[in-house]
Amino acid sequence: MSAVKLENPALDPALLQERRMLLKGNHAVSYGVMRCRPEVIAMYPITPQTPIVEKIADLALTGEIDAEIMTCESEHSAMSACITASLTGVRVFTASASQGLFLMHEMLHYASGARTPIVMPIVNRTLGSPWGFWPDQTDSLAQRDTGWIQFYTEGGQESLDMVIQAYKIAENPDVMLPAMVCHEAFYVSHALEPITVPSQADVDAYLPPFNPEHRLDVDRKESWGNVVTQEMFYRHRRDMGISMSHVPDLVTKADVEFAERFGRGYGGILEKYRCEDAEMYIVAFGAMCGTIREAVDQMREKNLPVGLLKIRLFRPFPVQAIQEAVAGIPRLVVMERNYSPGLGGILHQELKAALFGMENAPLVHGYLAGVGGVNVSVDRIEELTRKALAETPVVESVWV
Amino acid sequence: MAGDVLAEAFFQEGKYVQAFSSYGGAIRGTPVLTAIRVDDKPIRLRSNIDHPDAVVCFDSSLMGPALLEGSGPDTVVLLNSALEPEAFTEWGDLRVATIDGIAIAQKNGLGRIVNSAVLGAFARIMGAPSLDVLARVVYEVSPRKNEENAQCARDGYEMVKMMASTAVAE
Repeated sequence: MSAVKLENPALDPALLQERRMLLKGNHAVSYGVMRCRPEVIAMYPITPQTPIVEKIADLALTGEIDAEIMTCESEHSAMSACITASLTGVRVFTASASQGLFLMHEMLHYASGARTPIVMPIVNRTLGSPWGFWPDQTDSLAQRDTGWIQFYTEGGQESLDMVIQAYKIAENPDVMLPAMVCHEAFYVSHALEPITVPSQADVDAYLPPFNPEHRLDVDRKESWGNVVTQEMFYRHRRDMGISMSHVPDLVTKADVEFAERFGRGYGGILEKYRCEDAEMYIVAFGAMCGTIREAVDQMREKNLPVGLLKIRLFRPFPVQAIQEAVAGIPRLVVMERNYSPGLGGILHQELKAALFGMENAPLVHGYLAGVGGVNVSVDRIEELTRKALAETPVVESVWV
Repeated sequence: MAGDVLAEAFFQEGKYVQAFSSYGGAIRGTPVLTAIRVDDKPIRLRSNIDHPDAVVCFDSSLMGPALLEGSGPDTVVLLNSALEPEAFTEWGDLRVATIDGIAIAQKNGLGRIVNSAVLGAFARIMGAPSLDVLARVVYEVSPRKNEENAQCARDGYEMVKMMASTAVAE
């Protein structure tokens, strides 16, 4: 492992202003990280995440990022470095994807247990075997029990903005948990789009410096990582749950404050698109939501009353917000790009559990529409929507 | 790379663009694909392009049904080839244009690097982006031989050959 700290050259003040740039989704994330002023960035490349850390290295070279950059020998080491750095009370960043995320898995549990508010974008990619580089969210969804907050985004601008919001939420003293910002390979990670990079002054005003109550510091004489009793472990897990329960309201608040300052908001926990008088909501998360918007517009023109319910926060799973959002709606159809063999679509399963015990709960259809990154077009979404409206749902997620 | 340059030119003209390329599994020398959408409003689609307005083929030996999937009678097919457009009528009722990118590249000292010439030809047959903006972007983003690349774009714009059916938006 090597750590590099470069002498900071004088920066052109124009670089600190708001900038409109043509950026790949991954590079948008890098610029978002830059504005958050992390002090330690531990990184290991993996397709399709690599452009994030490559651009961070470029920005460190030009002095636009002033952080200690650690190039690690594996993702496991990168996460270990993040945890220890975060425990010293500094803001920390890393990013990963797919196979690399799985090598990190052990330390993901440690990071949340150690209450280190690390922010880590995940570029969703299929898992081997067989080998592929396609968008599929099973990689980050398989980390849903690790104690990390999880956001799913639709495009590069939302990913950039959510990195900033994620630090604000994760570092809140009532939370102190790490967060993943997940976007999909290919359609987001490698898509060039016009992106607004906010000004440094605005981000500084929105996101205060990280200043935790506890930290590893030889002068403070605090430590972390002692062996505990069963009762202490029990209390620790319960406390993590209490912290998780604070997250939904803070997500809403962070998005409202973000919209006030930056003029862009995303609805916080979830977003409803053209849901007025809908007979059915299409429930989805991630990049597919963009295509579903177009499909909803197309179907509304044909007088088919359907809307999109976009889930943005997946951990903690926002049960209350979802129940409120779907109250009175006869049907939901989940279209998703992930698969848990023996269980089904993960959003489908979690959504059904969230509706348990709800009076007049909607019928829920689950379609495995985009598993493995297969193309899901506007016409395909209309076809699946009509299919759901015409049939009785089954318990299982359906290969369509 | 050519896709990124084209996207940048449209972006500098104030358009919304979305461009994504095949990656990762690509082996050096094997075919790669880039898709570009251009619009006056934000682009929300996150799916493949089913019905392209234009197909640009940098290696005419790849011409075939796979490349033409989703193309219709209005799709413009631009090929990097020394042949006349009429040489490709066997592939169907297509609006074909050709550009001899290698001849232009060699004339300007770029060997077999045809990107800039083909992009110039594209700008001509599609009527966008403007040649001025494209040539400037090509100049800015070229890692070296900047003026030679810009000149290739201008030459491509002038020397593209179109079938009579390939209407030109001037």
